[in-house]
This record gives sequence, structure tokens and C-alpha cells, in this order.
Amino acid sequence: METWLLKVQHLSKRYGSRCSYCSTLTGPEQKNRCPVCGTVTACADIHFALNQGEVLGIVGESGSGKSTLMQIVNLALPADSGEVFYREIHEYGSAAPIDLLTLDKYAARSFRNERLGIVHQRPELGVNMHFSVGGNVAEKLLLANWRHVGRIRERTAELMRLTELPPERIDDDPHTFSGGMLQRVQIAKALASNPAILLLDEVTSGLDLSVQACVLDLIKRLQWELKMTMLLVSHDLGVIKQLASRTMVMKNGWVVESGLTDQILQDPQHPYTQLLVSSAL
Amino acid sequence: MINNLVQDLLDEFMPQNTTPSHEYPQESETLYNFAFIDEDAKREVRRKLLKAVALPGHLVPFASRDLPIARGWGTGGLQVTMALVEPHDVLKVIDQGDDESVNAVNLRRLIHKTTGIPFTTDTLAATVIQTRHRIPEERLHAHQILVLQVPMADPLRWVEPHIERATEMHAEADYSRMWVYMYESVVRAGDMDVASQYPVMVEGRYMMDTTPIPRYDVARLHMAETLYLFGAGREKRVYAIPPYTKVIPLQFEDYPFTTEHNAAYACAICGANDTYLTSTFHEAPSPSARGRWLRTCSDTSYCRKRLKEKEHLLTTGAS
Repeated sequence: METWLLKVQHLSKRYGSRCSYCSTLTGPEQKNRCPVCGTVTACADIHFALNQGEVLGIVGESGSGKSTLMQIVNLALPADSGEVFYREIHEYGSAAPIDLLTLDKYAARSFRNERLGIVHQRPELGVNMHFSVGGNVAEKLLLANWRHVGRIRERTAELMRLTELPPERIDDDPHTFSGGMLQRVQIAKALASNPAILLLDEVTSGLDLSVQACVLDLIKRLQWELKMTMLLVSHDLGVIKQLASRTMVMKNGWVVESGLTDQILQDPQHPYTQLLVSSAL
Repeated sequence: MINNLVQDLLDEFMPQNTTPSHEYPQESETLYNFAFIDEDAKREVRRKLLKAVALPGHLVPFASRDLPIARGWGTGGLQVTMALVEPHDVLKVIDQGDDESVNAVNLRRLIHKTTGIPFTTDTLAATVIQTRHRIPEERLHAHQILVLQVPMADPLRWVEPHIERATEMHAEADYSRMWVYMYESVVRAGDMDVASQYPVMVEGRYMMDTTPIPRYDVARLHMAETLYLFGAGREKRVYAIPPYTKVIPLQFEDYPFTTEHNAAYACAICGANDTYLTSTFHEAPSPSARGRWLRTCSDTSYCRKRLKEKEHLLTTGAS
């Protein structure tokens, strides 16, 4: 029985007018910018399936299309072509898959709010600095029609404890929090609506090593305890090694290699993956 | 020869009978179109109002015209009123609930000069009521239209300063940030600290700003018999609440919406304790004595009416 929760097929995203030479002059071994028309290929013919409870890592250098792929899955960016199927999995079976890219804006927003949680690389993208920390976490609960302040605060404090944030600072200004703590606030906010898939976009970039280790430990613990399905984007193979069970390597918008993380790291086949692994080691 | 030709052309295009179908004051005949604004502009406002009525609570952009009053002094409400009034209408203009405040008097003068329609201070006798800050105390009826002047049309302005983004949020009914704002006000102040412009949900779809009316008046918008029209001249938006529309203020289960009404206070003039009261400090006549706060009905015409009724009852009772 197939156990996928999210399945991406033929997904492409290009910026530019496109021409008949794009397909031949761009690719993993060439540039991602067409020399004739200047079209930039951000994602090209991406395929992958994400199983329930699995962590899939996407690795690649800057500009390889990882974050674009993440934004498309987060329904924040339209794709040029392809399908992103999502399937609810219940105790007794699974529901019919829906193509998320065909949802209208209203439905896409409600799907994003209810079923997806995202943690951005830059905290200011995920945390509203004008609201308190508790207000930020409560936003997701309010979106899910929670209308009882007492219960909202209880749940917020619970999420703060879960993400190792001091609950007594629930009403504090996010400006008084460190970078690592803000990442935890983002994680608490993302977990508030019990999302089916957690999207992590370079969560440890810009943090010092000890804070990075704490955040990684937290994500590992959450994955273990909550059996969360995660899509993890990183340029750091160390992060991928710690968290992801399967890995996909991207270059110039193309997937050049995918497989089990151990296999990718220990026996890389593609020259680009070999380069990444050797430079990380 | 040429003069004759010109005269013929002029005769052809100039209407022969310049007598108006109804009586205008002399000044308006010579200087102004009926209700100041040109007919095309009024038609545009009416068309946008129809759209607003069809989509309760939705902000409809319109081409706000220049008027001989400054933006922010009621130009939105004035344009809506002028687009609506007809010679047989009876108009009431109030500001802060008062028929005699400076803004109300000036707006009334302008409308009178350009239309000549009759005015009243009696809420029930008016067919169109233009107001700011208050909804009259007396229950309005289906044949009446209440026009509200709006300083800030979009309730999301508090939480989203970018108009494009706020428009998108309205389109997708994404009001979570406004809810967070209300949550934060409860957390910080112990209760919803929104005194006026209280946000409401209209028919469960659009979030709407209620203009600077106090919380006391918000409940009057729900399932009302009257058509409420809102005009924001500076922001170039109109919106509406048609009769019998659900208008629910934002509230939490453990912090329900409450008004500022306190039955322990009564009007110092008419004795009413079921009206919205305003407080004014009255200086003592002698410097040695202390002054005191007096609470009086904000709706002055209703207060006068109640006083008259009281006096009438007293005199008839005495006789």
C-alpha cells in the first residue's frame, strides 16, 4: 500500500519568457539561465514523494531552487507546471488525493493555515515583531477559530514548554528574544495547528554552533515524539545528516540525485554530490 | 449672417425652458447644480453604493470629488448624502449626536444652499440622516437612510499598513491578525480596549470598521430595519449595511463584547439612564466651590423630545 502524504510530479518553475532553446541550453550540467532569452530555471521537472512521519532533506548550493520548491509546496508561489498531490491518511485508509496547485486562493490559504507549518530562515518572516510572543503563537490558533482567551493561553504556554521556551515570557516582545529563541517561537507557531507537514527552510542558518545544536535537538525530539512529517531544506549536509532519512540533491533547479541519506553521504554517485560531500568533510 | 448662425446654434442647444421642476433658492439656481456635485458624479456614487449594498461590509472604491470643505471633515458622507437626496427628502445632520455642533451646522448650510431641501432635528421625521460619531437613540425605520462619515475605512489598517496586502486579506477573509490584535488588547488591558471604531463581522464574511461610533451604538447595526451607508471621502471608499444584516462584533467566549453603558448614570437634563451619555465639567460659580461633572444625553434632539414629553405629562397631569 502506498503511504505517501505528499507527492510532487513534473513540477517546474521558470522566471522569464522562455524560448525553444531553454530545454537544451539549461540543465544540471549547464547554467540555470538560458543564454538566448535569459529565462531562469528555478525548478525543473521535480519528482518526489513524502511519506507520513518521514523527514525528507533537500540539499544544494545557493540558487539551486530549494527555497523556490519549498515556497511552491507552501502554496506561497505558483508553479508553471506539474502537480503537488496531498492525501489525508487516516487510521482506516487514505482519502482521495487533491492537487494543491489547483486550489483557489481562498482554499489554498486555509489549507496552508490548517495543514502546513513553516519555519523560515529569517525569523522576521515568520514572527510578527509588532505582537507579543504569545500573540504570534496564538495567531495560528485564532485562525483555527479558537475563541477562548484562557484556552488559547494554556495551549500557547504548552507549545512554549514543548519548544523549550520559558512560558512566563509569553507576553514579552519578540525583540527581546535571541535568534535561536525566535526560531523556537517559529516552531511553536508552526506546531500550533497540528500541521500534517512541517516545512523547515534553513532553520539553523545564521545561528551559532551551540544554538544550532539545540534547535536541531529540538526538531529531532519533536519528530520522534510527534512523528511529524517534515520537508527540510538546507545547504548544510551536517543538518541533513542529523535529521533527514532521505535526501534529494538539487543543482541549477534540477534534482541530480536522491536516495537514503546514509547512502548519499557515504556513496555519492553524481559528481556534484561528491563535491558537496567532500567539501563538507 | 454669422451672428444669426451662432444664435441659431445656441438656440438649438440651449434649453428654452430654464424653470426648474421644483423650487430652489435663488442662489442655487445661479451658482450650483442641485446638490452641488454634477449629475455624472452623483450617478457614479449611486452605482458604487448599489455595489456596496450588494456586498455588505465590502469596501468599494469610488472617485471621491473635491468639495468646498476639507477632506476629513465629512466629505465622504456628504457625497453620499448629495448623491441620494431628492427635493422631497427631509434631512437631519448631526455631529457627536448634536444637531447644533459646528460641523453639523456647516454641512447643513452647504446642503441647504445647494438643494433647498427641508431640514429637521427630529430623528423620526427625517428621511436621510447624515451623522458622525453617533447613531440616533430613536429606533430608525425602513424608509430612512443613515449616512455615516468615515475617517478610516479599513479595520485592517491597525494591523496591516499596506493597502494591497490588506485588500488581499479581505479577499481571502484572512482576519487572524485582527484577532491577534484583539487578543493582545485583552492580554495587555484586561479587556478589549477598543472604545470606538469597533471591528465587526458582517454576514460572517467581511470585517468592517464601524467608524467612530461608540461601542454603545454597535449593537444597533445588527439586523436593523434601516439602510446604513458609510462614506470615506479621504480614503475614497464607500460601504454599506443593508437592512436585516447580521453584524457581529469581534469577541471572545470568556471576554464577550460589552458596551460602556452604565444604568447608574442618568442624564442631568431629561433623567434618561438608557441613552449614551457624554460628560462635561461644569465650573463652580464661585472660586471657593468645586465644579462637577455633568452627564447629559449625547443625542440632543432626543433629550429635548423627552424633556418636552415630560413637561407635557406634568402639565396635563396637573390640569
